[in-house]
Amino acid sequence: MADKRKRHRVLPGFGLSMGYTLIYLSLIILIPIAVLFLKASTISLAEFWDTVTEARVVASYKLTIYTSFIAAFVNAIFGTLIAWVLVRYDFYGKRIIDALVDLPFALPTAVAGIALTTIYAPNGWIGQYFESIGIKVAYTPLGIMIALTFIGLPFVVRSVQPVLQDLDQQYEEAAATLGANPLQIFAKIIFPAIFPATLTGFALAFARALGEYGSVVFISGNMPMKTEIVPLLIITKLEQFNYAGAAAIAVVMLVFSFVLLFLINFWQWKTTKKYQVS
Amino acid sequence: MGITIKDVSKAFGTFQAVKNVSLEIPTGDFVALLGPSGSGKTTLLRLIAGLEGLDSGGIYFDDIDNTYKSIKERNVGFVFQNYALFKHMTIFENIAFGLKVRPRKTRPSKNEITEKVNELLKLVQLDHLAKRYPSQLSGGQRQRIALARALAVEPEVLLLDEPFGALDAKVRQELRHWLREIHQKLNITTVFVTHDQEEALEMADTVVVMNFGEIEQIGSPEEVYQKPESAFVYSFLGRVNEFRDSEVASESDKISYIRPHEIVLRKILQGDSIVSEVSHIHVIGSTVRIELRRYDTNDLFEAEMSIDQYQKMGQVKKGDILYAEFKNIVVFDKNSENKLNHSGKSGIRNSLKSKLI
Repeated sequence: MADKRKRHRVLPGFGLSMGYTLIYLSLIILIPIAVLFLKASTISLAEFWDTVTEARVVASYKLTIYTSFIAAFVNAIFGTLIAWVLVRYDFYGKRIIDALVDLPFALPTAVAGIALTTIYAPNGWIGQYFESIGIKVAYTPLGIMIALTFIGLPFVVRSVQPVLQDLDQQYEEAAATLGANPLQIFAKIIFPAIFPATLTGFALAFARALGEYGSVVFISGNMPMKTEIVPLLIITKLEQFNYAGAAAIAVVMLVFSFVLLFLINFWQWKTTKKYQVS
Repeated sequence: MGITIKDVSKAFGTFQAVKNVSLEIPTGDFVALLGPSGSGKTTLLRLIAGLEGLDSGGIYFDDIDNTYKSIKERNVGFVFQNYALFKHMTIFENIAFGLKVRPRKTRPSKNEITEKVNELLKLVQLDHLAKRYPSQLSGGQRQRIALARALAVEPEVLLLDEPFGALDAKVRQELRHWLREIHQKLNITTVFVTHDQEEALEMADTVVVMNFGEIEQIGSPEEVYQKPESAFVYSFLGRVNEFRDSEVASESDKISYIRPHEIVLRKILQGDSIVSEVSHIHVIGSTVRIELRRYDTNDLFEAEMSIDQYQKMGQVKKGDILYAEFKNIVVFDKNSENKLNHSGKSGIRNSLKSKLI
């Protein structure tokens, strides 16, 4: 430890910046979350259990998790594809498309929700064609997935893009001189290289989707047991001044998200660790 | 397999990387493409491999027209400067890659692949590293594995792009010998790119000197060094003193060159010599380089001798006056720097004389 302290750094200020980091994280993240747990603990364990296992709540957990997962999964695939197109090809209007990717970040989610609902409603521009082949989009889990896909897209694109950019084409050339065909080059050389980044993007999109409220409430229709997401239930409880109940549901969701993200990160760490020792 | 390159040209945008290059490489030859950066040597190598498409001309392996064939069909082994080993695969998997990606019909069985990979690992003397990942290897080891990987597909032609460029001097020296040995053992037609003249002269059977996308000279290491056909080849292959605006050669449109080791220094005037003042002495192991300033023109030049010769000459220090005899001056035409006016020694001497002292 003594050695470490003596080590010379070009930029000083470790103490100051670390102190700031801790205070900042406490004020913004740790204290609010602690309060959440505190609030949830004001009710008895039995009450807590009743609240979080109520049929309507359980249905919303399931819905939220499964729509979020599918949306993140779809994003992982198509976001990677978009990143690929943006990195590997030069075409007219590339910069515009690149900027479009960030739009879901910039747009107020409620606006996005209303726009998506208008388009995918049974009589909307796109919704009417789905309606004619018997598929309902708005006011169903499918609509929720579309809204969640919309808000999650930038995460995957922005995670994969820099990694693809740094991927030296030499590896592909080397594989080609060894006789690999394009499919093999992608599957065995490119995919393993970008997979950790895709996983990161997936985790971020998934986490974002779990908590998304604004864009979903319009398109989901909020039918109890069918299209109610967890954040909506929390809002509902808050509107009934049932703060402890809202906190209880939130705590379950929080713990679940945390475990999930931890697992994804662990998986990612495992896949990269073995060949990144140097 | 022999390689024939016919009038090949390649441009990147407005930059002509390779201009009308023709080259004949016989089977089993060990060829160095030598030139400064931007001379088109790497582009030419990539054209042979098919990593780059050509604008015009033709590339043939023996009688097979490979001009428009894909990389895969050419069956070449290619070794990259930065190894390009697949980071997420073990050394074993890296070498096996070329065999594993074959279509099922021609793919060897698992045991055959294992056998082949082990054999190659032995060839490059790294059989104990099979289970490691590339990041755990040193640069020299990585380059050997890259070569083993390229050899796994049994290529007819082996192409190496600055294979030792990223390695330190000592490892580079070792690998040079080692690569020569491998070439002798396998006798595959081998072409490698380098900007290091020493490496080219030391390793290759044939040296192809390139500059500005064109071939300046083709010949054995001895030929290109002893009988350079152009000022460029002369000055690129080894250290050189250049006398422009020629006080040495009487005509002012000529440039004269002399290699440092072809200058004899003496403490007493003898024969046709130039009075010079010592401005620096570098002792580099077994050779000594002395920087001098000519009294007549004030030009700096460099003389080189063995440490024995230096000691024989006796104590020399900065500021001393020495007499330099230029033993083998070569004069090239300045305007068309290609034409060689091979040093009619006496002619030069005569013109020298008039300028001396």
